[in-house]
Amino acid sequence: MKFDALVVGGGIAGMESSLKLADMGFQVALVERQPSVGGRMILLSKVFPTLDCASCISGPKMSSTVNHPNITTFTTSEVEGIRRREDGTFAATVRQKAKFVDWAACTGCQDCEVACTVAVPDQFNYDLAARRAAYIAFPQAVPKKAVLERAGTSPCTDACPAGIKAHGYVALIRDGRYEEAFQLILEATPLVATLGRACYAPCEDACTRGDLEGTLPIRRLKRFVADWHYATHEGPGVEPAAPTGRRVAIVGSGPAGLTAAWQLARLGHGVTILEAAAEPGGFLRYALPEYRLPRAAVDADIANVTALGVEIVFNRRVEDVAALRAEGFDAVIVATGTPATQALRIPGEDLAGVASGLDFLRDVREGRPGELAGQKVVVVGGGNVAMDAARTARRLGAAVTVVYRRSRGEMPAHHVEAEDAEQEGVEFAFLLAPAEVRHDGHGRVTGLRCQAMRLGPPDESGRRRPEPVAGSERVIDCDRVIAAVGLRPAGDAFPTLAHDASGALVADPQTLTTATAGVFVAGDAVTGPSDITRAVGQGRRAAHMLHRWLRGEPLEGFNALDDRLAVVEHADVLARQRSHSRRDPEVSSIDFSSAPADFAELEPPLTEAEALAGTSRCLDCGVCSECGACARVCPADAIHFEQHDEMLELEVDTVVVATGYELFDAYQKPEYGYGRFPNVITATEMDRLLAPTRPFNTVLRPSDGKVPDRVAYVSCVGSRDRTVDNPLCSKICCMYSIKQHQLIMGALPLADVTTHYMDMRAAGKRYEEFFSQGKDMGATYIKGRVAKIEEKDDGDLIVHYEDIENGGRVVQAEYDLVVLSVGVRPNPDALRLFSEEDLAATEFRFVAEPAADHSPGQTSIPGVYVAGASSGAKDIVDSIMHAGAAVAQAAATLEHSASRRRVPVEVR
Amino acid sequence: MRERDRREIIRDEPLMHAPIRRALAAGPLTVPEIAERLGRTPEEVLLWVMGMRRYRQLVEVPDSGDDGYFRYALAATDEEVLA
Ligand SMILES: Cc1cc2nc3c(=O)[nH]c(=O)nc-3n(C[C@H](O)[C@H](O)[C@H](O)COP(=O)(O)OP(=O)(O)OC[C@H]3O[C@@H](n4cnc5c(N)ncnc54)[C@H](O)[C@@H]3O)c2cc1C
Ligand code: SF4
Ligand code: SF4
Repeated sequence: MKFDALVVGGGIAGMESSLKLADMGFQVALVERQPSVGGRMILLSKVFPTLDCASCISGPKMSSTVNHPNITTFTTSEVEGIRRREDGTFAATVRQKAKFVDWAACTGCQDCEVACTVAVPDQFNYDLAARRAAYIAFPQAVPKKAVLERAGTSPCTDACPAGIKAHGYVALIRDGRYEEAFQLILEATPLVATLGRACYAPCEDACTRGDLEGTLPIRRLKRFVADWHYATHEGPGVEPAAPTGRRVAIVGSGPAGLTAAWQLARLGHGVTILEAAAEPGGFLRYALPEYRLPRAAVDADIANVTALGVEIVFNRRVEDVAALRAEGFDAVIVATGTPATQALRIPGEDLAGVASGLDFLRDVREGRPGELAGQKVVVVGGGNVAMDAARTARRLGAAVTVVYRRSRGEMPAHHVEAEDAEQEGVEFAFLLAPAEVRHDGHGRVTGLRCQAMRLGPPDESGRRRPEPVAGSERVIDCDRVIAAVGLRPAGDAFPTLAHDASGALVADPQTLTTATAGVFVAGDAVTGPSDITRAVGQGRRAAHMLHRWLRGEPLEGFNALDDRLAVVEHADVLARQRSHSRRDPEVSSIDFSSAPADFAELEPPLTEAEALAGTSRCLDCGVCSECGACARVCPADAIHFEQHDEMLELEVDTVVVATGYELFDAYQKPEYGYGRFPNVITATEMDRLLAPTRPFNTVLRPSDGKVPDRVAYVSCVGSRDRTVDNPLCSKICCMYSIKQHQLIMGALPLADVTTHYMDMRAAGKRYEEFFSQGKDMGATYIKGRVAKIEEKDDGDLIVHYEDIENGGRVVQAEYDLVVLSVGVRPNPDALRLFSEEDLAATEFRFVAEPAADHSPGQTSIPGVYVAGASSGAKDIVDSIMHAGAAVAQAAATLEHSASRRRVPVEVR
Repeated sequence: MRERDRREIIRDEPLMHAPIRRALAAGPLTVPEIAERLGRTPEEVLLWVMGMRRYRQLVEVPDSGDDGYFRYALAATDEEVLA
């Protein structure tokens, strides 16, 4: 993109520069970091010395700037680097940050703000009050459009292989919106109660709060909303789209198949699930034990799917997938899981007393537990199936030993499963590999002969490989052996589909398509044994791709998992606060028995109070929670989560730097108590309290909302002060303080205002008169520095000050509110704009003007100019004049180099 | 003395909507009065009340504040306004 001039910064100096150049007919690119132009001026109450309303002066300039035909304004944008091109012009790289709102559609109605679940400090009110993650910068913003503050994907959401918006439902629960939380999870999967109980919760492993006193109970919060919904609602509360007339067959009713069916039925397709077993749910019903996942929970979840009209055909084993086409199905998803088990490959494996873990768990679930009371059972394997089999056998009265060939640290089972098994009296024997099942000669199992192992170097899985210890064997006496050494997909059951050596069906991992058009696969049948969330993620992906395939669209755009923002770093989240208070984690108080006797659900639900306390610990890592509430209420359908930052390359002939100033950080004067004492505020905060768009209903003190009677000002905070390395006068503080005194006395006629100052610098047109006017209105001015401020229990403040005009003694006075007139500091951004040339700085890091005495606005780089407070403290009038000086020279540069782009306009 | 980081207090606002609404159900209250009912500090309550006021859930009662403290009341919902 080519422009004549690039103006960096959309404050009063940047707007003035842009308007002047644009009025001369030059094409201007204006880059502003915030969502609105206006800079600091638009946040002011009134301006000195006229006491004109800041918005009334700034507002028209803001809209002229944004609407000027010769100005292209890039808001929420940052210049990443400017370099000189060979022809002498400049190339600027600009990052236009994603707003996540379509500004062409947004009407500025604020409905998204009202619906939003995340409250954060409002930087446009200097953190005095809250705004939402969805926000319009301020009421007079130009353009008046919403943006979403998204720092990235929250770690919990990022960690979920099902693409469930964990942070989103946590935030909705925190806001008391339980049904919306349930619906948000339903957008991913119907298995809300199931995942709330049996998910291994990778979200919790990733949770930033784990770096403080402990992770949030994210999984149990899901169970909380599921239990709440099922107790209070009939059906899922979801309306499917109008019927498409297309029919889809899904083979298998495990988590992958059920999720795919759910997604496709919502889209209006006619879905039939073909299931080999007599009941639906796959492993959820036949493998996961009742004490972890009650059938009632699985049934409630599956009822969501059937409520949308999905038909489930039982006892239907599919082998010829292609033949389903003849039955009238337009497309098929095969989601048959891992029904095959790995063999032990040892003598005696075929004895009647030896079973696979899966067969054993299934028999128990189907009411054929067998007689185990008083028996000794050995479970072979260290995975989750082994843990479930061992704990199930304990419940049937057996003494159980788990035999595993590596050591505890290498066990693939989730650590909580292994710990729980131990609590229930399961014994573990590590570094033993089964060698033979022994029997009594009549086929009755008597023991398991094992080979002792030791750990060698790591294998391809990264775990240390077990190696036999020669001559060292051991027999463990037992009556039954349960082999839980691995599950496999049974791809060979489908002659027309390709499978690999492990039995896994072969598919494109991104699109889940097979070599047969219209046949998709999903879940553990493709990936090999995984977990419920991964199977759900696969089911979603397959459904998304199948839907697009039916519509003849390219197989892409599965944004739920493939297009997430980069995950937010824990350190960045924690650094947003100066301190974090401790809140006790919600411990899951399971009563373990070393001899468990029944299959009743073990984990108690969270109470409502526990659930809310849990959500209160969320740190809102990504800022926006992705709860989707804004998108649901937006009448213009303007919210778009899939927007991305865009990089723009601008070619320009001249650059005007108008990045403004920063404020002195009052924390650097700890003797004044800023940040510790709520009633010590800065003058910029006071300007907000006095503005028509103020954050409170009037001037109130932050500790308790009291209307202050006694207000003190401390001048020159961070200016003319070598202890903070700034001997410069900030020029504006005296005058803005006097302005505020007059406004406070207008707003609060009973208030006394006192200023502790060094000397009053009133050098400017009508400034001295303005000072006199303040005194005449009754403000008190006491000459002398403030030494320190203390706080009383009631929030009042004791100011210790020097009273120079009364003998220089140190005196104390008590106030309701103290305002620190903080000074101006350079904005270091200006000096980082140019990547190959140094923009020279003054000794105090403002942009230098080497020829300030005759050519103000000229910088050390030819063709680059500086306007406003970037080059040093200036008030509004001086900034406007300085901008005029800078653009006059910029225009002269353009006249020589780039008149080709000049477009005359009617001057305002 | 500020005990908690302001960002942390503000983050709690959605959680405090329901308790504050319950406290105001019987009539308007000042910030210290709400704080007492909730067992929280007035500084926290001011931040929550002002957040709720900004998003039209609460309003200040006109002409209150003579004792130094304004009273805040539940805002009429859209349905109540239309009724
Ligand atoms: C004991 C055990 C405990 C587990 N615990 C957990 C846990 O706590 N948390 C967790 O996240 N994961 C756990 N898992 C893993 C989790 O259950 C699986 O990752 C998940 O069920 C895989 O889903 P799926 O839909 O791909 O397969 P499955 O759940 O296996 O479903 C496949 C379905 O297809 C049917 N089917 C198979 N072949 C055919 C055919 N030819 N025609 C028609 N239908 C067919 C099957 O009957 C079954 O209903 C556990 C697994 C086991 C075995
Ligand atoms: S998705 Fe939720 S948290 Fe994010 S901006 Fe929208 S309403 Fe706020
Ligand atoms: S603190 Fe909240 S947003 Fe961050 S990872 Fe934990 S639950 Fe998610």
